[in-house]
Amino acid sequence: MSDAQMKTIKDMPREDYFVRGHGACPGCGVAVAVKNIARIIGSDATVYVPASCLIVFSSLYPTAAFKWPFLYTAFENTGAVISGIKAAYRRRGKETTVIGMAGDGGTFDIGLQALSGAADRNEDVIYVCLDNEAYMNTGIQRSGATPFGAWTTTSPVGKKIQGKREFKKDLGAIVAAHGVPYMATLSIAHFNDFLKKVQRAKEVKGFRFLHILTPCVPGWRSEAAKSVAISRLAVETGMWTLYEIDHGEEKLTYKPKMMVPVKEYLQMQGRFRHMSEEDIQKLQAWICEKWKHHYYEEIPVPPCELEKGRKDLITDEDPLHGV
Amino acid sequence: MYEVRFHGRGGQGAVMAAQALAEAAVLEGYYAQAFPYFGAERRGAPVRAFARIDEDKISIKSQIYEPDMLVILDESLLDIEPVAEGLRSGGKVVINSTKTPEKVDLGVEVDCASVDATSIALETIKAPIVNTSILGAFAKIEDIIPLESILNAIMNRFGEKLGHQAGVMNSEAARLAYERTVVGRCRGTRKLVERMQWLPTWDELPPGTALPAKTIDGVDVGPGSAWQNFTGTWRTSSPRYLKEKCIRCLRCWFSCPEGCIDRLDDDYEKWDYRYCKGCGICADVCPVQAIEMIRGVHEW
Amino acid sequence: MVMKVMSADHSVAHGVRLARAEVIPAFPITPQTLIVELLSEFINDGELDADFMPVESEHSAMSAAIGASAGGVRAFTATSSQGLALMHEMLYAAPHNRLPIVMANVNRSLGAASGIWLEYNDSMPERESGWLQVYIEDNQEALDMIIQAYRIGEDGGVMLPVMVCLDGFVLSHTVEKVDLPDQEIVDRFLPKFSPLDVLDSEAPKTFNAITPPDYAMEMRYRLERAIEDSKTVIGRVDSEYGEVTGRRYGGLLDTYRMEGAEIALMTLGTATSTAKVVADRLNEMGKKAGVIKLRFMRPFPGRELAEITKELKGLGVFDRSLSFNGFGPVFTETRNALNSAQFPITNHIAGLGGRDVTFEEVKSMFDIVERSARGESYRECNWHGLRGVMV
Repeated sequence: MSDAQMKTIKDMPREDYFVRGHGACPGCGVAVAVKNIARIIGSDATVYVPASCLIVFSSLYPTAAFKWPFLYTAFENTGAVISGIKAAYRRRGKETTVIGMAGDGGTFDIGLQALSGAADRNEDVIYVCLDNEAYMNTGIQRSGATPFGAWTTTSPVGKKIQGKREFKKDLGAIVAAHGVPYMATLSIAHFNDFLKKVQRAKEVKGFRFLHILTPCVPGWRSEAAKSVAISRLAVETGMWTLYEIDHGEEKLTYKPKMMVPVKEYLQMQGRFRHMSEEDIQKLQAWICEKWKHHYYEEIPVPPCELEKGRKDLITDEDPLHGV
Repeated sequence: MYEVRFHGRGGQGAVMAAQALAEAAVLEGYYAQAFPYFGAERRGAPVRAFARIDEDKISIKSQIYEPDMLVILDESLLDIEPVAEGLRSGGKVVINSTKTPEKVDLGVEVDCASVDATSIALETIKAPIVNTSILGAFAKIEDIIPLESILNAIMNRFGEKLGHQAGVMNSEAARLAYERTVVGRCRGTRKLVERMQWLPTWDELPPGTALPAKTIDGVDVGPGSAWQNFTGTWRTSSPRYLKEKCIRCLRCWFSCPEGCIDRLDDDYEKWDYRYCKGCGICADVCPVQAIEMIRGVHEW
Repeated sequence: MVMKVMSADHSVAHGVRLARAEVIPAFPITPQTLIVELLSEFINDGELDADFMPVESEHSAMSAAIGASAGGVRAFTATSSQGLALMHEMLYAAPHNRLPIVMANVNRSLGAASGIWLEYNDSMPERESGWLQVYIEDNQEALDMIIQAYRIGEDGGVMLPVMVCLDGFVLSHTVEKVDLPDQEIVDRFLPKFSPLDVLDSEAPKTFNAITPPDYAMEMRYRLERAIEDSKTVIGRVDSEYGEVTGRRYGGLLDTYRMEGAEIALMTLGTATSTAKVVADRLNEMGKKAGVIKLRFMRPFPGRELAEITKELKGLGVFDRSLSFNGFGPVFTETRNALNSAQFPITNHIAGLGGRDVTFEEVKSMFDIVERSARGESYRECNWHGLRGVMV
């Protein structure tokens, strides 16, 4: 089947390039994302993984979960190493897709410089940011991706200060400012959207950036079974927005019918349990601004006008929803 | 010197248990140390922790190979690890099990305290974190440290880290476990699990770090070789597939972090229970309740 | 063969061109920049078929070189001082993965009391990393050693990265006559790169998985042996290069007037040239003084040194950097290698932060060695050219 024909997950190939037996925690959002990217990309790929949960749970000498050629060296250099690997393939006359899969710490923070360099040079690679909103590998420390109010071990809930005081860095805007050929945000709960974006990333030449929200059970203090449900709610509340910029053309790929109050999202995760009403309102106001920015929709702040008690969140065009 | 080796899984609190035991020993006037083996694995993976207790200052810093006591937080580890390896003759064992000691097969016949720590933990602290209940059972079989000091140590360690209420709940768990622990002799019929390992000499190693997919000494190495890691032993509940309800939407197949759902030719599903960690995502995303989670390790 | 007058930086760039490096990720830093500027020109003028990757830092330069080398192509980069320090983390990835990257490091002082001038305190700390390290005396050797570095590093029994170290400004910006060997000669001498392992989707390999304690010790020893074994390759490559170009450098080390010498000074880099002049003068005065030119700091020629110093009565070791409160690194390693020597060994620190190392200073080093050889009392570590009196 040619790639272009893959429209729903029913069209996805069965072959795994990220195999069973990896050591991720039960319910790991990163594992869901990586496994499906590997299925969609197929055999002709090479992956670089920097320091992250993914390196730890996918490779322990002499074993490895990736069937792809694989390299790891350090934390902050994903953009640079994949540039080098791609240059080698180019010199050898091979078309292989070169992918870097870094975490949010390795992308938003310590790896931002190498990411910017690779984007600036328009290297012909796919850079995937697996965003679980903290340094999970080292045991849940705050990163530039951690949302406002969230508990982490370095934004603890103290007597004086409770949780992270800064809002999540807008990495998408930073990457977009480089004018890269393709970038997109993905959710593991929006299957067909996920499929389309990974496929598009595979097709495009030049620097491609996929930013995926990947819930973390221990770090978010959530139920393992709810990782996909939380991802869905992240989009419905506006905490996460699904869009792509394809050669300068920005497109929202999914729009919730109505904003769900962020409280519903927060309630599913222990990392937000301590949040004061005031902090929740602050976060809500931030979301409302973001909502307005993405969807061009005014929502009165604060607080946004919220419709409570809505049950049906399934409003996108995914043909598998609502069955 | 009295040496204890803890066997648990990431997330069960084996390290905290070892630390609390060491603290209890210090409260009793002993010298003590506790330390983890830092593996690189995540929640659910087998972990080990160690505690040493002595009347004099303890200098040794190596791991414990010949323990006086084994504390096993997860019975299923007996099937995948040589847990009883090195246990000293006359040694003892504390195990989290619903079985009486006589029904536990450790691989060596020793004095054994068994307790259903998981149920106690769920009752008292509302989570399957069994590290404090298991210490109650420890006090029942071993008189080196009285229950009182163990409860105080738990209050100190857990109270400091997680708040007073957590300290109270956890010491309640230990107290309840002390009461419910059954002491007897466990069986020694099982053969200890043998680890398949490729341990080359330096000149047998490939020169660089790179490995192709191949089999050496019966062990698969290189790309894709993680298949040998049967993570299904991690699970505490199991998905049951009701094929007649399945609409073949493939949401479970897409959403399974393990990739352990086989998508058959007709798009019906089949679970590879060797790898299922029991996260329950498949049941949660199923729009027609064709998957249900059943507590315990099962296969259908 | 073409003769040209050029700086050592340009000589390095010509060496890289003749060696047909394919991927060159680099970042500018004084006094290295001339190298990557000229390489960019070669590429843009079509004289070198390579990818120049203008990365955003030296850390990324080494990272990209590692990616390219693991991808199976010949990689080159160049740096200096702070840039090398920024690479430090990444340097360690190349030897264990057996990636024969070649890098020119134009020596320059590192850290506070900062400057852009010559000192070896940038490259000396990196001798722990598993890279081979060679120090250069003149512009011709700079070119020749870039070509040899690929040949040594890519040897099937070696497969290690090589750092070619040359003195900032004193060499990098000094013009001298350089003979450029013909491309055909270099092509014959340096065959196409045949990597040990390659990232290739048709034959996947897992590189550098997290390595538990069960394997790391054996991997370290494997690397240790490979570095030791590179000694014979270095000697062989030097001979073969000599056969096709007429230029031999002695391999691990070179000697000057060492036959029958009673005292000697061991030097590296450009200080060697000055030391030779001083040795000439001393010999004219009837003194039996020789010079040992240390070329390779890694592999360190310990046994070879023991052999050539057997008959000495005193040895001085020049260092252009020091490990604070612990002597100069060349001295430390030399005395360690010669721990059964019966003659005094003294350390001579000079030229820190780019201070010129003069004839008189080198002469004063020999003077101390001579006095120590006569049995007079001596100081183990001597700073030369220091204002004020050492206490």
